[in-house]
Amino acid sequence: MLRGRLRRWRGPLRVLLAFVLLDLAALATAGVWERHSPDDYAARVVGCAKERRDIVFVGGSTVSEGIVPKEIVGANWNGDPLMNVYAVGLPGGTTSEFYHALKRACPEPPKLLVYGITASDLNDSRHEPHGPASLMSFGDTFDWAVSRPDSREWVVRQYLSARVSRASALWRYRHGIRMAAAFRFEELFPGACPASAKEARELRNYADALKNGDGYAPAAASVEQRYDHVKQVNGELPPFKFLDNYKTGSHRQYLHRLIRWTTDNRVSLVLVDMPVTADLEAKHAAAFAEYRQLLAEEETMRGLTVIRAHRDLVGITDAGFADTIHLNGVGATVLSRWLKGKLDELGREGTTDMPVVRAQAGDGKP
Amino acid sequence: MPAVLIGQKSFFIFLVVVLLGYHLLRGRTAKYAFLLAASWVFYAAISPYYLWVIWLLTGIDYHVGRKIEAETDERKRKRWLVVSVVSNLGLLVAFKYTVFFWDTGVAVANLFADVPPRAWDILLPLGISFHTFQGISYTVDIYRRQIKAVDSKLDYALFVSFFPQMAAGPIVRAVEFLPQMAMPPTPTAQQIQDGTFLFARGLFKKLVIADQLDMLFVSAVFNDPSAYSAVACRWAVLAWAVQIYCDFSGYSDIAVGVAKWFGFELPLNFHLPYLASSIADFWRRWHLSLSSWLRDYLYFPLGGSRGSTFRIYFNLMLVFVLCGLWHGATWAWLAYGVYNGALMSLHRVFDQSLKRRAWAVRLRASQPWAVFAWLATFGQLLLGLILVRMTGWSNGAAMLEGVLGLGEGAKLVPATVPLLVLLGLAGHGWELVRERLPRFAWSWDPLRAVNAAACLAAVAIFSPGVSKTFIYIQF
Repeated sequence: MLRGRLRRWRGPLRVLLAFVLLDLAALATAGVWERHSPDDYAARVVGCAKERRDIVFVGGSTVSEGIVPKEIVGANWNGDPLMNVYAVGLPGGTTSEFYHALKRACPEPPKLLVYGITASDLNDSRHEPHGPASLMSFGDTFDWAVSRPDSREWVVRQYLSARVSRASALWRYRHGIRMAAAFRFEELFPGACPASAKEARELRNYADALKNGDGYAPAAASVEQRYDHVKQVNGELPPFKFLDNYKTGSHRQYLHRLIRWTTDNRVSLVLVDMPVTADLEAKHAAAFAEYRQLLAEEETMRGLTVIRAHRDLVGITDAGFADTIHLNGVGATVLSRWLKGKLDELGREGTTDMPVVRAQAGDGKP
Repeated sequence: MPAVLIGQKSFFIFLVVVLLGYHLLRGRTAKYAFLLAASWVFYAAISPYYLWVIWLLTGIDYHVGRKIEAETDERKRKRWLVVSVVSNLGLLVAFKYTVFFWDTGVAVANLFADVPPRAWDILLPLGISFHTFQGISYTVDIYRRQIKAVDSKLDYALFVSFFPQMAAGPIVRAVEFLPQMAMPPTPTAQQIQDGTFLFARGLFKKLVIADQLDMLFVSAVFNDPSAYSAVACRWAVLAWAVQIYCDFSGYSDIAVGVAKWFGFELPLNFHLPYLASSIADFWRRWHLSLSSWLRDYLYFPLGGSRGSTFRIYFNLMLVFVLCGLWHGATWAWLAYGVYNGALMSLHRVFDQSLKRRAWAVRLRASQPWAVFAWLATFGQLLLGLILVRMTGWSNGAAMLEGVLGLGEGAKLVPATVPLLVLLGLAGHGWELVRERLPRFAWSWDPLRAVNAAACLAAVAIFSPGVSKTFIYIQF
């Protein structure tokens, strides 16, 4: 009976077997595909978790593009020089992603956690699918679904879809395989697919930087790009949709969880209100007003240390930005050096609660 | 409800649910009722406002079929047949050609007065060009006493609405499908296997070759031919030929393959069309179910190749003009029909004048002539395909200039395009080798399975995120 059934289904079974073998081959060579299409969230989390860090920066693309960890090395905190710095910058992420990333990136808690926060991190009108796909466990998803009914269906769908897509290595690594193919094809036939090969090269460089570095792996184009030049050429503000329909509340819960995590693990926490361009603040004035009020409330109610790295205080003009919100290479270096000085001041033993230090750090400034 | 378009995730889920439900159910009525309901759900997912169209035509054709069979008076039988033909063609014309006639009328009226442009449009019900032809063939075959009218409404409705082929054919005749429905067929091992291979091949043709060619090259060149070099324009026309073949034959492969999983056999719709050695040969290889329908229900009733010389050529031209218009209600499709009608007429003149000359018969049997005939036919086909793809007449002229080397564009061909074109034509090459070298005409199932798995792997990796609608669904 079984033999009869097997004979009846031998065609599809043979196809399935051959497909599984191809899939296993793709899985066995996963490193090649990951190098051509890295999961930057997972790579940064894994990179950070490799060893115990002195300072960990978390945040979105303002951190991934705007914090140069090597410029922070040597900052003093409570008399200790902080030598091991890592930046877990998750482009497109929200506070919810940063909390989940933190839990995995810091199995051994650092001495200091710096959250480079900005208005878009807390905007409930947006969610980042990369979070449920790369950072969240089943428990995290369940927790989210229970505590945040507004996005319950979304988070379950994203989580399940990511898990299902991992069933096949060919599907999971499809972008990496395409990029690797484009890279090789271009090597064999120069000019065959220049756009795809360029993307593949950039992704390889990105993957290498993520694997070996300290989390700082900015997009090649934005290191050199200057916002003032972009404005001159384009004449108008490039669109930034991450602040549209601004509302806060749901992601804020995860800010509280992040604070609780630092308290539970005896980690010092500093929030840095990251600099943005005047154009962005003007265009989304209401969003920034709501965000800054929220930040002030958290500061007052929970006694948080907030460094307001306003562009004027840091000394960054449009020339230091790559676009409306991201710093370019020069801007990132300026901010990081300035921040190192501020952390030094804040970290002098017993001074973190002194109002004068908080004022120097930008307290009360816009 | 999300559209259940073949090649999209929702279709795969739908297919699994329907296959499981169909094979788990017991009893003829339960199985067919379930399959019919699923087919209507499939229809409603794409054309939610037009379920009444397929219900109405199904009802009319079913009752007309029974009336024709029961009637003995020939005049009354003919009247009932007219009811069926007018109902099917009436709705087809109303939905498909109203806009065309309106726009043409407006264009003529604008010669004399300012008439505002049309501010409305008509959505085409899914597969109307296909199921109306199935309905007509059913009642005509009963009228000709070639088949018996079906007793069961359920059987007839399923014949018209069977979802794998509902959207874009093949156009199935009642005589091919209804006898298979006597008892719910159980798919054999061979059908399950062949269905799997066809399904994988169809997805590969559509998602890897057709959609990629369109995205990478064909659309870009046809949208702005003057920016591309002569070589690029020629490659674009060739790539378009491969795209439309892979798109349509890919759909047919999926439809035939899925039908096999239910135990049904649908007719094959293509037989290596780009190996045709004449335009007549091409229409015997391309969209076979439409070509044979037009032959049996239009060309032969018009008199076919009997009668005066004028009548024969008139019949040929009329059939191809209507064939062009069947594809789309535009002047370009009309021109495509005229182009093919003219080629068919010229071919007939050529054929008739040479077939009694011994030297010509010898020459036409030679190998060099076969190659020449193939090249000439392929060239004619490619030129005709410009009419089908151009975005406007000036655009078509620019494309023709580009192909003839009269343009001044400089953009070149990405190397991936020749690769995809070769892949798209690989099936033709393989079949040619098997035909010419019989020692290669073996088939080893494990190798076919590896081929199918490789096709599915390529679909997983290279299919674009969003698949484009099948071209023939729009007809």
